[in-house]
Amino acid sequence: MSTLIVVDQAPYGSWAGREALDMTLSLAAFDQPAALLFTGAGVNWLRKHQAPEEIGQKSVEKNLAAAPIFGVEEILADATACQRYGLTEDNMIAGASMVADTSATLNSHQQVVFAG
Amino acid sequence: MPTSLTYTLVITGAPWTSQAPQTALAFARELVSAGHRIDRVFLYGDGIHLASALSTPPSDEHHWPQEWSEFLAENGIPAVACIASALRRGLVDEAEQARYELTGSNLRPPFEIAGLGEWVEGTMKSDQVIYFHGSV
Repeated sequence: MSTLIVVDQAPYGSWAGREALDMTLSLAAFDQPAALLFTGAGVNWLRKHQAPEEIGQKSVEKNLAAAPIFGVEEILADATACQRYGLTEDNMIAGASMVADTSATLNSHQQVVFAG
Repeated sequence: MPTSLTYTLVITGAPWTSQAPQTALAFARELVSAGHRIDRVFLYGDGIHLASALSTPPSDEHHWPQEWSEFLAENGIPAVACIASALRRGLVDEAEQARYELTGSNLRPPFEIAGLGEWVEGTMKSDQVIYFHGSV
């Protein structure tokens, strides 16, 4: 059973995205198929060269980079949201791919979990 | 489709910040009265505040942690607060109190503290997993 975790909030302003990422890694750790979809302001998670140290947070880039190593199948970004927030293949972290049709992505997973 | 389904309920919204615990409790009561089974309740993120033994609302208001714990005990439903969410937010049982040499513990029975693996197991064993979030 594949699970899609959807993150629709920008990083650092709330803890919900981090906890959603933990859920994704946990599924992968138990050999359950899991994928991440970033949409809306959530696509900012995928921006290169994040520097949140001055606000007392760790960059989420490292956590995301670890996701494929832990067995997370896909890191997907809503192409429309990427365009809106000025994210391109060049300024996006490696390992993420854009999807044009997010409803097809949502429908292709048996379970969809939104970050709280 | 079977007439009786198995559910896991995940609560991520805190009491007195969101309506999530109340909505989840009303839903859980309806499930039980309709003959469905609740495999477990999993508290995650801010939802862990529901398991605090120290919540003390005014006496003329609903006491959501107490009402939830009574419902769980009456129906023998296991309920788990995520350990990572709980420790960050200051919810600990006696074992964690001892481990981290803290001044007290505040986990309300029958809630227990355990890892995200409990949530994963719930998603594998249940027909439906329903999420109660505080905000969208």
